[in-house]
Amino acid sequence: MKISYNWLKWYIPDAPDADKLADVFTYHLCEVESIEKKGDDTIFDIKILPDRAHDLLSHQGIARELASLLNIKYVDPTPKYKIPHSASSGQAGLKIDIQSDKCRRYMGRIVRNVKVGLSPEWVIKHLESIGQRSINNMVDAANLVMFDCGQPVHAFDLDKMGETLIIRQAKDGEKLITLDNRDWKLKISDLVIADSSSVLAVAGIKGGKKPEVDDNTQNIILEVANFDPISIRKTAQVFNIVTDAKKRFENDLSSELGSYAMLELSALIYEMCPDAIFEDIVDVYPERQEIRKLSFSVKKISKILGLEVSVAEIEDILKRYNFEFSAKGGPASGWEITIPPMRLDLAIEEDMAEEIGRILGYDKVKEKIPHMSDMWKPKQNEIYSKILFARNKLLNDGYSEVMNTSFSNKGEVSVLASASDKNFLRVNLTDGLKENLKLNQLNAPLLGLSEIKIFEIGTVWCPDEEMHVAFGDKKGIKEMTLDQFVSEKSSSEEYGYFSAEKFLVLEPSPSQASSKEIFHTQKFKMWSLFPFIARDIAVWVPDIVESNQVHKIIKENAGDMAVRGPELFDEFKKDERISYAFRLVFQSFERTLTDVEINEVMTQISNKIKDNNSWQVR
Amino acid sequence: MTEEIKKGKEHPLSIVINDAVKIFTDLGFEVAVGPELEDIWHNFFALNFPKDHPALDMQDTFYIKGQEGKVLRTHTSNVQIRYMEKFSKEGKEPPFAIIVPGKVFRNEATDAGHEMQFYQLEGLMVGDDISVANMKWVLLEFFKKILGKNVEIRVRPSFFPFVEPGFEVDIKHNGKWMELVGAGMVHPNVLENCGIDSRKYQGFAFGLGLDRIAMIKLSIPDIRLFYQGDLRLNQF
Repeated sequence: MKISYNWLKWYIPDAPDADKLADVFTYHLCEVESIEKKGDDTIFDIKILPDRAHDLLSHQGIARELASLLNIKYVDPTPKYKIPHSASSGQAGLKIDIQSDKCRRYMGRIVRNVKVGLSPEWVIKHLESIGQRSINNMVDAANLVMFDCGQPVHAFDLDKMGETLIIRQAKDGEKLITLDNRDWKLKISDLVIADSSSVLAVAGIKGGKKPEVDDNTQNIILEVANFDPISIRKTAQVFNIVTDAKKRFENDLSSELGSYAMLELSALIYEMCPDAIFEDIVDVYPERQEIRKLSFSVKKISKILGLEVSVAEIEDILKRYNFEFSAKGGPASGWEITIPPMRLDLAIEEDMAEEIGRILGYDKVKEKIPHMSDMWKPKQNEIYSKILFARNKLLNDGYSEVMNTSFSNKGEVSVLASASDKNFLRVNLTDGLKENLKLNQLNAPLLGLSEIKIFEIGTVWCPDEEMHVAFGDKKGIKEMTLDQFVSEKSSSEEYGYFSAEKFLVLEPSPSQASSKEIFHTQKFKMWSLFPFIARDIAVWVPDIVESNQVHKIIKENAGDMAVRGPELFDEFKKDERISYAFRLVFQSFERTLTDVEINEVMTQISNKIKDNNSWQVR
Repeated sequence: MTEEIKKGKEHPLSIVINDAVKIFTDLGFEVAVGPELEDIWHNFFALNFPKDHPALDMQDTFYIKGQEGKVLRTHTSNVQIRYMEKFSKEGKEPPFAIIVPGKVFRNEATDAGHEMQFYQLEGLMVGDDISVANMKWVLLEFFKKILGKNVEIRVRPSFFPFVEPGFEVDIKHNGKWMELVGAGMVHPNVLENCGIDSRKYQGFAFGLGLDRIAMIKLSIPDIRLFYQGDLRLNQF
């Protein structure tokens, strides 16, 4: 969510510098995705955590949190509001009829004689700072209230509709033309706002075209409502719509927020339209949000965090956060707090551990070695041990390991709605290995292998989930269950370990055993995506000449493009001479090499070899 | 004679997984495993996900066709539940400490940093007074051993349904902070769902992406290289 630093400053004038604030967010509240300087303002994009989305998706919410967190002053804006006098004195024309339990509160207010026009400059500036476009004063007032206090609000043109608002489930097939001129066909699961003749809006998600506020609008109905978050989320999902209002409603706003939002919205419209006539607020609130309490103790908090927290530290936090609290048996035996209505995330003692922990800062919690009692004796996991056994066995037999995707284009079990065309779960490992063999066979010279031997250990579904082992080369692939592999390939002594579930002394894998030290310093080298060229060269030399002498000359003259070799792959002796055969592999990271240029390199090598009179290129 | 290798070459992920498992088993953790095709109780609800949680949406999770309530596990946390259920059914009492290396699945578009399948390592330690301080020690110890002794750790507030408090754990390696672990104190509802008394016992859980660790450790630029069966990857 985008937060303007200057906007925050309205409420917390003593806020620290923007740079410092970023750290406060990160270590005590949530992640900062980006920080952007915009004129004299700084805009934070912060990632409010899901459990705080009901009270922190607003400038006031953030400002209140920061004021408590940093122990600085929070300036309550309400005394500054111009409060309009109600003209109807108990005679409101507006009727509200809630017919669905998916509407938890609905506040409406008729305002007559408004003048739609430009917004005051400060409103435009506020909205533009967080990337919102100014439309007209009515729409802007609604948006400003939402980004300021977190409550989405809406305005209808009273003259285009009846004076009774009905909040109900849609009828199957009922239609609505939306503000952006789309035809929506509704279902019974969709909550709507309607008058006696037709649907006016899809609750919390989209307004309808019919009662749209336009430049000529004179009389309006203000809506401040609270809807069931799940209902909002499901309907929005069906229509594939993400709005700022939907994001707030689906995170379960407190119904208590409505009163403040109506106050702020009315004051704003009054400021914009001083001649407007405000009728009474009609507030239908079938079930008040319950007042909840929570008990917790300093002992439990300290035990969860692994940090000795003091009574004074906790009471200081409770005061800063304006929690009403009492300690009947004295603070040492714990507190009972009244949970503020906006803090729907607080319910259990562990929630207070989070609250105290993040406010103090988790850097205060120092690393401590855990002490497990002697009761705990870890056991070897049989399946994992078998996998290790199979892997080590195959590595030792010269097979290299591959891993393939579990998805396939055929099989017995399939997944719904995959982003890929491979909707099935594989029934074997063999099909994957066949493809791998083809690929790696082409690269055999590059890999320095005369023969490609590979294996995979992994799950297949045929249709039940099974752990398989498959291994093979171009002559063929064998596949079996892990259990079969272990019983076939293990000695009777080794097998005894598995079957008796005894502790198995695991062989370290070859790479660990051979290169533990080197492992920490090794870095992957990405291969070239261009084709390689392999060339062989065989040389006759007197039998007193060793292969490394020949190797040296080839290497010195092979040039920059030789990525592999020279590798000695053949030698034989005849009369008093030896033939050494070497392989070279050439490849560039920038281009496809040509035969002509590699021929030149090979000629250069041959010429150098012929400098020795008794040497002869075969 | 020739340079041809007698032994086969291990997949880099296996090397990193083995390393990780070795480090944790040396610290007293037990390895646990579980199914990749899982029911939604073990994958979601026992882990305190509300019935309408967005993670349950089809766009994030692979549901199995024709098998009501079955998914490809989205994390190895399902094994937390399976292990604890069995543990308490056998009448045992904490402490215990497990790690779960295993394959997990997410229904998302792939790129250099994302795959539809990857390996996760789940950790869980429960006892009388296993705390956030213990979690920090265990994770720091692990990263010192796997990435080098100069790493630093920091813990930030985060949220996951199955923990409270929840954390994001960052590791500083070669001068750069990286977000590598999701963690937290096991939510009492999760312990209770598995028959463990949450008034008596507490502990931490964490999950980390092994592909990511392998990529960092070995400087491998693209996660998709792990699952192409190309032996040019097996350089170690």
